[in-house]
Amino acid sequence: MSLSAEVALTHITRRAISLVPLLSAVILGFGVCGLIAKAVGLSPLLMLTELIKGAVEGPQIFETIARAVPLTGMALAAAIPLRAGIVNLGADGQMVLGGCAAAIIALYLPAPDIVRMLAALLIGAGIGGAYAALAAAGEIFANVPLLLSTWLLSYPAKGLCGWLVRSPLRDPITAWPSTYRIPPGVRLAHLVPGTPINQGFLLIALAAVLIVFLDRRSSVGYELRLRGLNERFARYGGVALNRQTTWLMFVSGALAGLVGAIMILGSQFRFTDGALTAPQYTWSGVLAALLAGGEPLGTVIAAVLFAALQTGGFAMERSVEIPRVLTMVLESIIILFLSMRGAIWRRGR
Amino acid sequence: MAFLEMIDVVKRYPGVLANDHVNLDVNKGEIHAVMGENGAGKSTLMAILYGLQSPDEGYIRIDWKTVFFRSPIDAIDHGIGMVHQSFKLFESLSVWENVVYGREPRRGPFIDAAESRRQVAALSERHGLPIDPMARVGSLPVGVRQRLEILKALYRHVRVLILDEPTAVLTPGEVAGLFKVLRTLAAAGCAILLVTHKLNEAMAVSDRITVLRDGRVTERLVTAQTNPAQIVRAMTGRNLSLDVPPAGPHPGAVRLELNQLVVGGQNRRAVNEVSFTLRGGEVLGIAGVAGNGQSELVEAIMGMRPCAGGYIVLNGRDITRRSIAERRAAGVSYIAEDRIRTASAAGASATDNLAFGFHRRPPIAVRGLLRIREMRAWARTLIRKFEIKIASEMTRVGTLSGGNLQKIVIARELAHDAPVLIAEQPTRGVDVGAIEFIHSELVRERDRGHAILLVSAELSEILALADRILVMYEGRVIATLDRAEANESILGLYMAGGEQKAS
Repeated sequence: MSLSAEVALTHITRRAISLVPLLSAVILGFGVCGLIAKAVGLSPLLMLTELIKGAVEGPQIFETIARAVPLTGMALAAAIPLRAGIVNLGADGQMVLGGCAAAIIALYLPAPDIVRMLAALLIGAGIGGAYAALAAAGEIFANVPLLLSTWLLSYPAKGLCGWLVRSPLRDPITAWPSTYRIPPGVRLAHLVPGTPINQGFLLIALAAVLIVFLDRRSSVGYELRLRGLNERFARYGGVALNRQTTWLMFVSGALAGLVGAIMILGSQFRFTDGALTAPQYTWSGVLAALLAGGEPLGTVIAAVLFAALQTGGFAMERSVEIPRVLTMVLESIIILFLSMRGAIWRRGR
Repeated sequence: MAFLEMIDVVKRYPGVLANDHVNLDVNKGEIHAVMGENGAGKSTLMAILYGLQSPDEGYIRIDWKTVFFRSPIDAIDHGIGMVHQSFKLFESLSVWENVVYGREPRRGPFIDAAESRRQVAALSERHGLPIDPMARVGSLPVGVRQRLEILKALYRHVRVLILDEPTAVLTPGEVAGLFKVLRTLAAAGCAILLVTHKLNEAMAVSDRITVLRDGRVTERLVTAQTNPAQIVRAMTGRNLSLDVPPAGPHPGAVRLELNQLVVGGQNRRAVNEVSFTLRGGEVLGIAGVAGNGQSELVEAIMGMRPCAGGYIVLNGRDITRRSIAERRAAGVSYIAEDRIRTASAAGASATDNLAFGFHRRPPIAVRGLLRIREMRAWARTLIRKFEIKIASEMTRVGTLSGGNLQKIVIARELAHDAPVLIAEQPTRGVDVGAIEFIHSELVRERDRGHAILLVSAELSEILALADRILVMYEGRVIATLDRAEANESILGLYMAGGEQKAS
């Protein structure tokens, strides 16, 4: 782990533990965005109220929750290795592989519906995990930095799945390369009728609770945390760093693969080339994880916040024509303020 | 007349009063020793003087003018220079580049290299600090690097030179050389602040001594009118004996055996065919100037560095190819030389630091889950037993003084109760009181039949504790001595690489 980018990321990790700086960064971010809006002749107050209304008012709250499910999943996929100072930038590819595998199982496995669904989820997660573990093996045996390998391995994964749905698995009646539609019996059921919330919510919520608990209370979580604080110390104390890296990457990739499978079985119902990566959950997730310094509960909070901002941004754009790019500016500014904090803090002493 | 004064300086950290109305004055041409145990507030005081920290109360006066330092840059502008314990040098650059860095003589937009070299050579000659301006710093021995640090300060027209534990890394011969330089500088009108915990050095070289304890000045002494016992009393508040009881009667079974151990590649063997055996109830000292393969040897024994040849047997098991965890489980614990970089996590609490290594088994962990209450109780027990000064067990250890952090490390490693203990520079940068404490803990381990491998650059430590002594030079063991036949001058000779028999 020698790339300076990774050093910078762990630097952010160390400084972003409590919620106080997170809140102040959020408030500052809103302030700056308000100023930008004002400068171009938009009303900051209108922006704020429309953003909040668009995120939580009436049925919009369900939209926010539905968006928060994959975003939280991807944020935790980034946060798990980040907790130990490791960066997984390849969750895109792991998610796509997981989703693609889930679609194939759901369509072609000769088994009862419920078995097909469970197998699709499990194998989707397993393939995502295995693919991430491959990057870990690359670092351990060939010294390829994870930062690079995870990121670059995304492209062949996306390419392979794109080819699959273009030639052998393609549903010929669709305009865009995709598989056939998954039969209703194999899909994840809706939790609240008339809303986009499905059983995937339960799976991700369960994963989040489990991760928060293990991070705080398990020996394994403790080793991760100490490694994030001082890798050399962790090694000195007997943590087998390579083995830890491998399973960390597996869990991270499996979570990404699970998100892919949930999106296929829960909302998209077919694997369409590029559809899983279009909403950019991976990158919002990485930002949420960075914002919380890899701390799981903070990561979940940040991910839900981002989901709310995004749905709010869409609604705001529709209703009052304030461009939603402002909400992306907001996300970026929050992150920048939070990373800056370290430097300001140190000078103050 | 006092040239530099620090007046009523107060510095608070959460839960600790690091400096409590400290007054310090230094005259031109004076060597002034600042002494005290770890955590007494010496480092904080010097950090304030060098602009690294700002005082909560009080102020600094130079030449009767009050000054405020926002950063070391301000301090340097006022003629204050500091030689840190860990040198701040660019290893890949040459000596002259390091000296002029940031204030280079210029010709147009370029650095005037010829003029720089000339100035550096002139400076080194004028102050009796021989050094080759063209040498690459990475290739220089530690003593010469220290000379370079002093040159850097002189180049910046230093009027007050602070040296933080400057002798920790030097051979006895180099120490004498350093003292000569300091006396010359003082004679030229420089004020010198020598931060040290070594009584004999303060007695040998200083004019006056200010002693700190618990953040307060406890004594201001004129060196010619005091004695070591008085200083120790001022530092610790009690009378101490630094004598160590002699070794137990008979060494026990062989605990650790090295056979022809090699570390490093063909061209540069950091450790070259080292063999020894270590028995229970025995302290084996490894002497040598820092950087002669001791760290590599220890890291190879612990599994933190691969062995290129030979084998290691620990408690009857060949561990040459085992993991760090397996070695620890086989009965070795390790006080690492670098407590900040290796042996602790500064950002984690004392609880987290003290539980590391115990976090996978009862009582701290049950079925893979931590029992937080047990963990904290465990930390409190060790803090009490080792008299660690810390606000609470949840305090981050990065805020602790060197000695207290070292006690955290030692408390944890001794708690393993392993039959073999590797203690690498266990008292480096640690004050007299803590040294006494650490030495007595090591002796207690020995008397319980545990085997100790003591690596130290401190000859007094080796001579006080070791039953047998190996001297390492350039990766090889060049001498093996019994304590009875060793003394400082013989060891010093071997440490400098001397092959000849000393009598």
